[in-house]
Amino acid sequence: MLEIKNLSVSYGGLRALTDVSLTVGEKQFVTVVGPNGAGKTTLFKTISGVVKPVSGTISFMGRDLLAMSASDRAHLGIAHVPEGRQVFKTLTVRENLEMGAYPKSGRENWTRTLDRIHTLFPILAERAQQMAGTLSGGEQQMVAIGRGLACAPKLLMLDEPSMGLAPAVTDTIFERVSQIHKDGVTVLLVEQRVAEALELSDNGYVLETGHMVLEGPYQTLLADDRVRKSYLGLTE
Amino acid sequence: MDIEVLIENVLNALTAGITIGCIYGLMCIGLGLIFGIMKVVNFAQGELLMLGMFASLYLVTGGGVLAFLGPYIGPFVGAMLAGPIIFIVGAFLHKFLIGRVSGLRTAGSIDDGHFGQLIVTLGISLILQNGGMIVFGSTPVTVRTPLSSSAFQVGPIFGDATIFLNKAKLIACAVAIVTAIALYFLLEFTRIGKALRAAADNPTAATYMGIDVDKYYRMAFGLGSGITAIAGGLMATYLSFGSFIGFDYVIIMYSGVVLGGIGSIMGAFWGGLTVGFVQQFSALILPPQLQNAAIFIVFLAIVMLRPQGLFGRSAERA
Ligand SMILES: Nc1ncnc2c1ncn2[C@@H]1O[C@H](COP(=O)(O)OP(=O)(O)OP(=O)(O)O)[C@@H](O)[C@H]1O
Ligand SMILES: [Mg+2]
Repeated sequence: MLEIKNLSVSYGGLRALTDVSLTVGEKQFVTVVGPNGAGKTTLFKTISGVVKPVSGTISFMGRDLLAMSASDRAHLGIAHVPEGRQVFKTLTVRENLEMGAYPKSGRENWTRTLDRIHTLFPILAERAQQMAGTLSGGEQQMVAIGRGLACAPKLLMLDEPSMGLAPAVTDTIFERVSQIHKDGVTVLLVEQRVAEALELSDNGYVLETGHMVLEGPYQTLLADDRVRKSYLGLTE
Repeated sequence: MDIEVLIENVLNALTAGITIGCIYGLMCIGLGLIFGIMKVVNFAQGELLMLGMFASLYLVTGGGVLAFLGPYIGPFVGAMLAGPIIFIVGAFLHKFLIGRVSGLRTAGSIDDGHFGQLIVTLGISLILQNGGMIVFGSTPVTVRTPLSSSAFQVGPIFGDATIFLNKAKLIACAVAIVTAIALYFLLEFTRIGKALRAAADNPTAATYMGIDVDKYYRMAFGLGSGITAIAGGLMATYLSFGSFIGFDYVIIMYSGVVLGGIGSIMGAFWGGLTVGFVQQFSALILPPQLQNAAIFIVFLAIVMLRPQGLFGRSAERA
């Protein structure tokens, strides 16, 4: 479904990604883990088109993404739930969801998706008329995910949805993301909470200083010494 | 002073303040919209007002296409049509000039493009002022309507105290209010309006939603230009103007926008209304040359007491 080949990205002269390849299959759950500054957010921004690569290719369902403008890519069914939530603070919760449904697919399925979003996150129905900037961090994350779902996406990209949230809230978020995946949405997740994230995934990638150093299914990654030491904090 | 004269003067300042204030309010919304959505400080806003006046003038007078509407309806239809015409002018200005120094192109640069915007909009302003003099001539003109020299009389209310409502200003005020309300509904309830607000709030996130931010910024600049131009067309019915008139009003627009609360688009309307009021009341006691000074004194007083403006608010969590 999503195929990234030999992608390299620079900020000015600074390399952020070098020769990165990644594949996400239909209905898969794929996780990218890596330390701070590894280039995970950069990878997502390049897929969305707000950062332009130096070289490499990205295709989504057979379409060459790099030939399209950033705003056009969302209309293909790619939803990006960005790092740090980035909700529209001065819009109400409902308006945020409506903006998520800006692409045609979102408008056509609006009643159904809104229902589904409210089932996953009932608080969003309660707070529909509240200004999103006045919500708590956890609630804002729910708005951000709901907004992503509102376009009835084929691929949902989540950049560290657990960032800055209490463990209990994180658990809820993970549980909902897993539910969304079970409902048939392909998920590409970036996470620092490696253990939980990998557990949900079909496939995982480890990104370090711009290089993909490891990839494979949950079991393979779990068996890898480096992953066990650096990410899972296991000493055995 | 004779009490009846005093009451008459105050009542007339009040009504003139409301009518002129509403027109100023509309004018301020144009500037407030451009700043509120795009974060561009537009020094050429006064010249957009001026272009609105001349657009209306050429539509209604001489052999203008609206001449058939006659001097009663024509000037007001002309003012409204100045809106879409200057919308297009604004959209072109954005496409070829403003867009190069604003929006996603300059987001995240050290000054967010403000210095470039300052020079570009000042440049546009100077070119339009002087180019306007070449094209439109240097003799002051006005969009003549018999309504500007006729008034409704209310009263006498107290003794001989009577309110005179200038018909041209009254209709202009009504058009201004209707236009402001229409814009409010557009921004608040339509998909386009919400997308404009989303693009203003967080352009990157808006891009992730599939919103073409550049296109919406162009629309915002066009709308802001067109709205101010409508106000210009309305003012053209009761004052005489030349290509340099924008300078007199850009001060009022900035005061109105800051008073209303920077970033609050509809707040700009109330800011403009306040300025209109202050101007008319100061005319009771001050000579005309000092009216702008009076506006600034009230402006400074309000800004000292309420730095966020009358309607500014924060969407952040407290
Ligand atoms: N706009 C930018 N300009 C210059 N350098 C940047 C920019 N954005 C990111 N970088 C650099 O690119 C590298 C990768 O950053 P990125 O945000 O992609 O990391 P990340 O893996 O998402 O980290 P984190 O886990 O902290 O979110 C970092 O070294 C960062 O400093
Ligand atoms: Mg990141």
